[in-house]
Amino acid sequence: MSAVTIRRRRIRELRRAAPFVLPFLLLFVIVYLVPTGYSVGQSFFAVQRSGLGLGGAETAFAGFDNYVRVFQDGDFLASLGRVAFVGVIQVPVMLGIALVLALLIDSTASKGRGFFRIAYFVPYGLPGVIAGLVWSFLYAPTLSPLTRGFASIGIDVSFVTDSALPFSIANILTWAWTGYNTILIYAALQAVPEETMEAAALDGCSGWKAALLIKVPQIRPALLLTLVFSIIGTFQLYNEPVTMKSVAPNLSSTYTPIMAALRSLSANDFNYAAAQSVVLGALICVLSVFVFRASARSVD
Amino acid sequence: MVMRRARLAAAALLAAAGIMLAGCSGDSGTSANGPAEITFWGWASGYEKSVELWNASHPDIQVKYEAITDGGAGGYDKMFTAAKAGKAPCLAQIGYETFTSFLAAGILQDVSGDVESRRGEFADWVWGNVGVNGKAYGVPVDTAPMAMFYRADLFEAAHIAPPKTWEEFAAAAAKVKTADPSARIMNLPTDPYLYAGFAWQGGAPWFGVKDDAWSVSLDSPANTKVARYWQGLFDQQLVTSYPSFDAALYSAWSKGKVWAEVGPVWSASLIRDNAADSAGKWAVAPMPRWGTTDSVGNSGGSATAVMKDCARPKEAAEFALWMSTDTDSVSNLIASAAILPASKSGLANTALDAPQSYFGDRPIYQTFRQEAAKVNSSWRWGPVMSTTATALGDGLGKVHTKKATFEDALGDAQKGTDSALRSQGFSVSE
Repeated sequence: MSAVTIRRRRIRELRRAAPFVLPFLLLFVIVYLVPTGYSVGQSFFAVQRSGLGLGGAETAFAGFDNYVRVFQDGDFLASLGRVAFVGVIQVPVMLGIALVLALLIDSTASKGRGFFRIAYFVPYGLPGVIAGLVWSFLYAPTLSPLTRGFASIGIDVSFVTDSALPFSIANILTWAWTGYNTILIYAALQAVPEETMEAAALDGCSGWKAALLIKVPQIRPALLLTLVFSIIGTFQLYNEPVTMKSVAPNLSSTYTPIMAALRSLSANDFNYAAAQSVVLGALICVLSVFVFRASARSVD
Repeated sequence: MVMRRARLAAAALLAAAGIMLAGCSGDSGTSANGPAEITFWGWASGYEKSVELWNASHPDIQVKYEAITDGGAGGYDKMFTAAKAGKAPCLAQIGYETFTSFLAAGILQDVSGDVESRRGEFADWVWGNVGVNGKAYGVPVDTAPMAMFYRADLFEAAHIAPPKTWEEFAAAAAKVKTADPSARIMNLPTDPYLYAGFAWQGGAPWFGVKDDAWSVSLDSPANTKVARYWQGLFDQQLVTSYPSFDAALYSAWSKGKVWAEVGPVWSASLIRDNAADSAGKWAVAPMPRWGTTDSVGNSGGSATAVMKDCARPKEAAEFALWMSTDTDSVSNLIASAAILPASKSGLANTALDAPQSYFGDRPIYQTFRQEAAKVNSSWRWGPVMSTTATALGDGLGKVHTKKATFEDALGDAQKGTDSALRSQGFSVSE
């Protein structure tokens, strides 16, 4: 085939693909690229006023001033540290549980697969705010049946002290997202060929050993995907802490990076909010790429 | 839901802003010929009815009311965004605490000339909430002076007289604890705007205007005095420390475990709606005073502001004045939103004399009417209240953990406010 025919064929393929790809591209540009570009642009400006500043403000180019502010903003840096801490503890626990549950559902011995699949998935169906509310009631120091239960056997617990909060939040996340990840991993497990497992059984490898040594390596891409999703999700933590604020007033309004950015936004500090968002976005991007790269290398 | 979408935070934030821009509607008055049409955004119940009353009697100036979400819950953001896009309404309901932020955004219109002849119909301190340096950018609707709600039955049974000063209040607090060791006199005021009312009363303003520059005084000696008072009650375990507006507090009110609440006029509805079990047992007395200084605090109240792009500001101001002063309109607002009117004629409204069944048929609004005249006039809200309030709220929220004090919270809020003012280009005097 000559080069010309190949090119012609490509163009024809592109033309055919266009109707399928364009709606996505269009939306991607409108709701993703344009706002991102806009906020990157905004982050290089700052407002200027004179005197009492009543009667409006002008915006002027400010170079990297807002970014300097971001990296000097103790509250914002602390919020990044907090989500990193929650992530380091919660993500491995959650994915570990999800993997075990998925393997259990997948094992031929298990009965009532359909039931468990749905049961684990149900918490994911609740919006984060509702989950936050339900758990808030369980955590509220004076109203919580859990606190009362513990108190009745002589143990004083509080789920909303400064040091308990990251774990309380991690618990909600684990409750809400384990099922979701279980389903993703389970779907990948189904793609493991039956023959492979039969061959393994003939070679004397079965049960948990087979699961860990043969199934798990084969679903690496799915595990990686859930890992990256979970990291991104943790850095974007918002619903749960905001909802819990009503029972835990010691939870600061800059508890997570998004809460901090929204606080700047509602203070009409738009340009600074943009800079905070860009820093957070960039950080998530770098982290995701890093995880993908690192695991790709270990697969090779 | 922002959560768990593989999307940049920046995109989410600004996409939301973009959607808001596109979704806003509203126009700012029509041409100068024919009947004027004035759009009005607000959320308080009763506003719509007042607008109907006006429209029926004023065919030349028709007001189009649009109910939006409560200001603090997104209504203000909507107004800011609409003003940026040139789609703001003519009139907007704005709480006093946020009013200066709107001034700082330059999206309100000076209507001092249009209201000049009727200034005398409102107290001076009330006008101070709708403009700086004697100017007016809107018309006050209601105020929220503070008083003391207390369980008359429990106070009487324990032979405790309602305290008239803060000194007596502290003594009463100790007596309450003696009478019922599981009860306390009050819950610690840790909501920043509620606490503002106590600073307001104590002659401890947070902001001031000096020679074309802002001054920030959250850590002033006067503020420290008020802060130490509450910290003292907390340290002596004479008050509860439930989160503000929390079910635990409401349950304590209901069960007679918290005996009093010093709060603004709208606390009446808050207590009535959340402590049904203690119906008939609450009474209202004046807010305890600092020594012999006969002044009270205020926590809340809002105005009808004229926005910048309004083409018919004169007519808009005329309607706003009418809504706050006309007897039928004010009666309607009292009936449907339980407001305390800002205007002198509104305060004279006989609806305020009605006995309140939840409060044992006591005419509690008479107390507020009488106290409205005694609100401290030194208070001024600042242009970055959102920052000030969240910083203070974060600090006050830690008091119950004993890791911070009221003074620490005010100190943090002072620093946060100062840096917010500077970074947003306001002049700040040292």
